[in-house]
Amino acid sequence: MPKNQDHYSLLGLPRNASQEEIRKAYFEAARRLHPDRNTAPGETEFFLDIQEAYEVLSNPQKRAKYDGTLAPEKSTAHLFKQRILFSRKSLLDIPDPQLIYVLLEYTPNVESDAPPAPPLNLCLILDRSTSMQGQNMDMLKATAIQVMRRMRSQDTFSLVVFSDRPETIIPATRSLDFGKLEARIQMLQPSGGTEIFPALESGFTEVSRSADRAQVNHIILITDGRTYGDEEKCLSLAQKAAEQGIGISGLGIGHEWNDAFLDELASRTGGSSIYVASPQDIQHVLLDKFNRLGKAYAEETKLEFELKEGVELRYAFRLQPEAGLLPIASPIPFGPILCDSNLKILMELGIKLKSPHAESVILIEGKLYTTVHNRPTPLKPITVNLVRPITQEAGAAPPPVQIMDALSKLTLYRLQEQARLEVKAGEFNRASEHLQQLATHLLAQGERGLARTVLLEAERIHQQKAISEEGNKEIKYGTRALLMAGEEKDIQ
Amino acid sequence: MIVCPNCQHKEMTGAVFCSECGAQLVDMNLATHKIHTAETRREIESGTSPISPPPAVLQSWISLHIMESGQILPLADRTEFTLGRVAESQPIVPDVDLTPFNAYANGVSRLHAALKLVKGKIVLVDLGSSNGTYLNGTRLSPYVETPVAHGDVIYLGKLKLQVLIGQQ
Repeated sequence: MPKNQDHYSLLGLPRNASQEEIRKAYFEAARRLHPDRNTAPGETEFFLDIQEAYEVLSNPQKRAKYDGTLAPEKSTAHLFKQRILFSRKSLLDIPDPQLIYVLLEYTPNVESDAPPAPPLNLCLILDRSTSMQGQNMDMLKATAIQVMRRMRSQDTFSLVVFSDRPETIIPATRSLDFGKLEARIQMLQPSGGTEIFPALESGFTEVSRSADRAQVNHIILITDGRTYGDEEKCLSLAQKAAEQGIGISGLGIGHEWNDAFLDELASRTGGSSIYVASPQDIQHVLLDKFNRLGKAYAEETKLEFELKEGVELRYAFRLQPEAGLLPIASPIPFGPILCDSNLKILMELGIKLKSPHAESVILIEGKLYTTVHNRPTPLKPITVNLVRPITQEAGAAPPPVQIMDALSKLTLYRLQEQARLEVKAGEFNRASEHLQQLATHLLAQGERGLARTVLLEAERIHQQKAISEEGNKEIKYGTRALLMAGEEKDIQ
Repeated sequence: MIVCPNCQHKEMTGAVFCSECGAQLVDMNLATHKIHTAETRREIESGTSPISPPPAVLQSWISLHIMESGQILPLADRTEFTLGRVAESQPIVPDVDLTPFNAYANGVSRLHAALKLVKGKIVLVDLGSSNGTYLNGTRLSPYVETPVAHGDVIYLGKLKLQVLIGQQ
């Protein structure tokens, strides 16, 4: 059994679990880990571990004795610091709708007893369709080998390649025979089309086989094309992955791939989508992603909430660690919290006050759930209640600097978002205007290259009534990168 | 309801940036008004403006003294100004248009430099101009913020300006 686990965490149970809960958790885990299904060497031990855990916990006497040997549980508040900032001190007592911005920030409490880097359970899914031919494929193979070489003995690795059909090159395993597998990877030849769903399903099967809450379970999908007709199936699979604590990230190479789809796929699981402009970038982008996975402190961070009457969540965005748009329906997956950077979420709330002359108003009542890797027992959720007083006059105080900073950059991202929607809706003049506004701001900030791309696209929309795939992605991920440029590494 | 001073787009109460043009709607310690360029232009056209401190009602934190013509441009109501000139068929509009001061002939770029108020200090940034920005005779590296003081002389290309800083 891994050192940082006890019988409870192994079965994903709280300490006060009932006998019925213990029984259910055991059967669920046993089904997943039964030696008939897990034939790889070394994996029978998973099964023996849960067997032992069940034997102890299902017997009240043994359980009581075992409980006595456990270190006392630590509270969630001890593991995190939560900070909530509002753009305004109070709301105005007016019947018209009004806006307020909320910045949620979570700082991991690492110094208490620094957790060892959690084991990884990683699956790479590589696109080997015909379009990958040449440099893309060569770089991809080389990088996949590098990633595999970095696996430690406690990590689980699997590799799926796909074109029209998926092929599991390396089934999930902890014992990697580097020499043999490298030869296998080097032999891959590009051919065929891009069918993402079957590949994603194969990858999911590999990761979920040995998925448990104590490790970072992640699928990285690398593609340069778009899939047709099975997007919906992919998204519902992502939903299922999210429920099992498996994250999915997408790396898009070149400009043919479907960014909206990869974004959606990633955001459902708290993962991220990344744009890779040229084959030379594959290596550092993938290794960077890999490094981030290794720094995870907590995962499956999600906010379950209830909006009060008259309150609308209009926009949610993760500013840090990896900038990305978030879904606005409860529960929102926030993604992982890394050891060395804060998790920062910005939300825009629209409020239409229902009862005039009230003292204060509750905007959101929510709970933040998370799983910390070295304490895989379910943690008590953190309460996130957003309440603001109502006043007759607007306060003079400007919004906090952190919110101003974030919004100044997010506004640019939203300008291009809006322009893209307008192109779709056929409002070309307005789209072009929005891009020109964006270019002006970018120039003022010294982002000349990006500004030029934006102006080119504005011109193209004006003349050809269309936006180029390439420009579309450059602008989207370029403005997103501005948000990440200010990424702090400050842990107090 | 808030009306954006830049593009007149209507935003909900509580908005911080205009969703239409990206302009900042709340200001950090400075009152928001429109820039009084129209007024300044009229003064320039009539050529009657004597060298005098900028009128206090404008609440300007900085004024630019155009040394060649002796006119004074009070800048107010924002914490950041881009200096340049408006060119036909170019969507980029600087906050302060120097066209009336022979900007083109003096080699001022369309987006030449910016003056910013950062934590109570005024800094000058060259925005990658073609002919350079000089502060008291020293050429500035592009995109590097350099503090300026009252009375400093700035060259935008060959256009000579003097910085006058108000009571603030």
